[in-house]
Amino acid sequence: MTADDFSILLLTLRVAAIATLLILPVGILAAWQLARHRGPGRTLLETLLSLPLVLPPTAVGLLLLEALRKSGPIGQFLDRAGIEVLFTWKAVVLATAVMSFPLLVRPARTAFEEIDPRLLAMGRSLGSGPVSVFRRVALPLAWRGILAGTLLAFSRALGEFGATIMIAGSIPGRTQTMALAIFQRTHIGSDDAAMRLVGVTVVIAFAAVWTTEILTRRRTKRAVA
Amino acid sequence: MIEIDVALPLPQFRLHVAASLTADTVAVLGPSGSGKTSLLETIAGLRPKATGRIALGETVIMDTDRGVSLPPERRRVGYVPQDSCLFPHLDIRGNVRFGMVKGSRVELFDEAVAILEIAPLLDRFPATLSGGERQRVALARAIATEPRLLLLDEPLAAVDPALKGKILPYLLHVRDALRIPFLYVTHNAGEARALAREALVLREGAVMFAGAPDEALRSMSLVDPEARFDNILSGTLGKASGIRETGSLQVGEAFFAVPAEETARPGAGAVFSVAPDDVLVSTRPLEGISARNVHPGKVISCELSGATAWIRIASAGLDWTARLTRSAAEELELTPGLEVWIAVKSHAFRRLR
Amino acid sequence: MRKLLLSLCVLATVPALGAADPKPEILVFGAASLTESLQELGKAYEAKSGTRVIFSFGSSSDLARQIQAGAPADVFFSADTARMDALEKAGLVKASDRHEFLSNSLVIVVPYDSTLKVSTAEDLLNLPRIALADPASVPAGIYAKKWLMGLGLWERIEPKVVPTLDVRSALAAVETGAIPAGIVYRTDAAIAKSARVAFAVSNGPEILYSIAPVAASKSPKAAEGFVLFLAGPDGRAEFTKRGFFVRDAGRP
Repeated sequence: MTADDFSILLLTLRVAAIATLLILPVGILAAWQLARHRGPGRTLLETLLSLPLVLPPTAVGLLLLEALRKSGPIGQFLDRAGIEVLFTWKAVVLATAVMSFPLLVRPARTAFEEIDPRLLAMGRSLGSGPVSVFRRVALPLAWRGILAGTLLAFSRALGEFGATIMIAGSIPGRTQTMALAIFQRTHIGSDDAAMRLVGVTVVIAFAAVWTTEILTRRRTKRAVA
Repeated sequence: MIEIDVALPLPQFRLHVAASLTADTVAVLGPSGSGKTSLLETIAGLRPKATGRIALGETVIMDTDRGVSLPPERRRVGYVPQDSCLFPHLDIRGNVRFGMVKGSRVELFDEAVAILEIAPLLDRFPATLSGGERQRVALARAIATEPRLLLLDEPLAAVDPALKGKILPYLLHVRDALRIPFLYVTHNAGEARALAREALVLREGAVMFAGAPDEALRSMSLVDPEARFDNILSGTLGKASGIRETGSLQVGEAFFAVPAEETARPGAGAVFSVAPDDVLVSTRPLEGISARNVHPGKVISCELSGATAWIRIASAGLDWTARLTRSAAEELELTPGLEVWIAVKSHAFRRLR
Repeated sequence: MRKLLLSLCVLATVPALGAADPKPEILVFGAASLTESLQELGKAYEAKSGTRVIFSFGSSSDLARQIQAGAPADVFFSADTARMDALEKAGLVKASDRHEFLSNSLVIVVPYDSTLKVSTAEDLLNLPRIALADPASVPAGIYAKKWLMGLGLWERIEPKVVPTLDVRSALAAVETGAIPAGIVYRTDAAIAKSARVAFAVSNGPEILYSIAPVAASKSPKAAEGFVLFLAGPDGRAEFTKRGFFVRDAGRP
């Protein structure tokens, strides 16, 4: 690995980590709400939240680009506040966060749904309010699902390409993550340099998926009393 | 004093229970699906659709007409569901401590652990516990919250008979030592009689009887095919003269022969149960019989339910229930007031405590 | 879960390598065909001025679009004047510091071991496919289209066109051997490893690069300095070495 490769790797890990940390609280709360409430509103919300999973990433990228450009609905406020997002590392974080969000929410929601609702009722009856029951019963019982979702989201964040290139470009040292660098290097014909990065991503992806698999499988082990 | 007047729509019927309970321990009886569990959950605040009024002594925990319905966490009602519902992610210590907040009496934990004898279990997880152990932990967990009222949903139904004998004494202890009033759902009229001073019989969501547990028998035998009517005897152990190979149990004025191995500590209090099937009934004085306990008595009532006859007999200062076949009861022409003799083998006395 | 959160936090706070470097930095958006020469000149400029120059290379149309969307570039170096005109009209580049001194020409490349006879524009009609930077937006493709239209061949060649993201992708496509021919700049062909020039376009349209500092630049001094450096003797020497045609600086 060259120094360039290494700095690309660090940048990738860094933005993926920040994106994952950002979506973690929001994603867990969304998953919890989705698991608890039923009805037409829920299906709509669920569909909306899953859109990044099924839409072409470039479509998501374009939507974000339109929202964030200086004249756009969000861009106006950011511009007034003096916050630059587009084509900076913040845009990479944003793109990866949006694209990874459903991958966190889905397993977390399933994990919450698997909790025996009577355990939650028990928690209430034993004197804990809804928030406390969430913290003391729901979270610890769903942690494997949340963990699996977190790892999935992180892996997705590491590899995000389409939405990222739309709103962050591929600026070496600033917004060029592994996926973008591989693309960039390949299309200028530096296949060897691209292949080095591919090797690195294979190792990281392997580790992440492996960990997820192990954790998800162990979930069934602890029987519910 | 527990005042209940609640309604709750259920899939098959509408639960409507109005009762003013004065006793500290109340048995809630009735066949499966009669709304017993729903009633407990309504009191615990776990049924948001319930309407009506519930007052525990001076404290109104629900009065939907006035827009009052305390959330479950503020009702201070200790609920012990049928399957114990322990938190699988917490060890037993964590489970028992769950409801203890800052400011809870610290000794409450030790007290609950001591009464239910769960100290050896504290570091284990629920999945490794037996049914009876789980029930004890669930009970301890509820007690540790200093509840105003305990709601026990068939705490003995899910456990085998041997364990049953182990948990019942704990319940008696909770009643007598901690003085926490409780509502106790059961199919077993015998248990109800042993534990409760008042009974409520439900049928399809409505109260069909409210009053003394002894009196609940009639309603029970009519409506609940799963009903059981164990005879519960609470007395003092001893070595009565004239009874050699067995021990004795003194209940009031009467002495009963019980298995000798149960009387290692004469003078100690003990509770035994005798199944109604083990009570023989004769219309003539019994002689030359192997059963060690033979007492004269009088028939109080005779309830026929299908092929079964439930006979209540006042004998030796106690109220007995015997289960006969319908034909046997008819052959003996058992009617209230008839003089009879009952016979019970000493080994039919099963030690509960 | 705690361990995972902890590792994420550690990763999130890892400073990107070089980010702690206090050196001033400018970001240059450059046409893909300028990749090697600009990288060389960037190093030279850093050594001379102390300002680090980082680049984002791509098709001029992509880069212009990004600047329009608010990308924090300091300098834009376009492969044509049309993209620059559009930015200038929108007030996004400093018109006063705009320079046009670089020219190029088109060549037809084929895989190194190609046995096909490709020596005239008409020969292209016999090929099943031709790699071209997207003629709808990318300058290299637009120049090629203009040339073929002038010859009256475009309509017959258009169905064979494999449009690529930029000119370097067209070259790479030919280099894989999958596409039998491509139209690129002569400077691209010069760095090709497994493609060779089949013939050079002699009667093509005028190719003119355009450079200007971005108006919203946070380091206008450094941006201007770099533009002048490129237009100056150091820049000219490097570009000439790479096969570009260098003219007098200033607007034509």
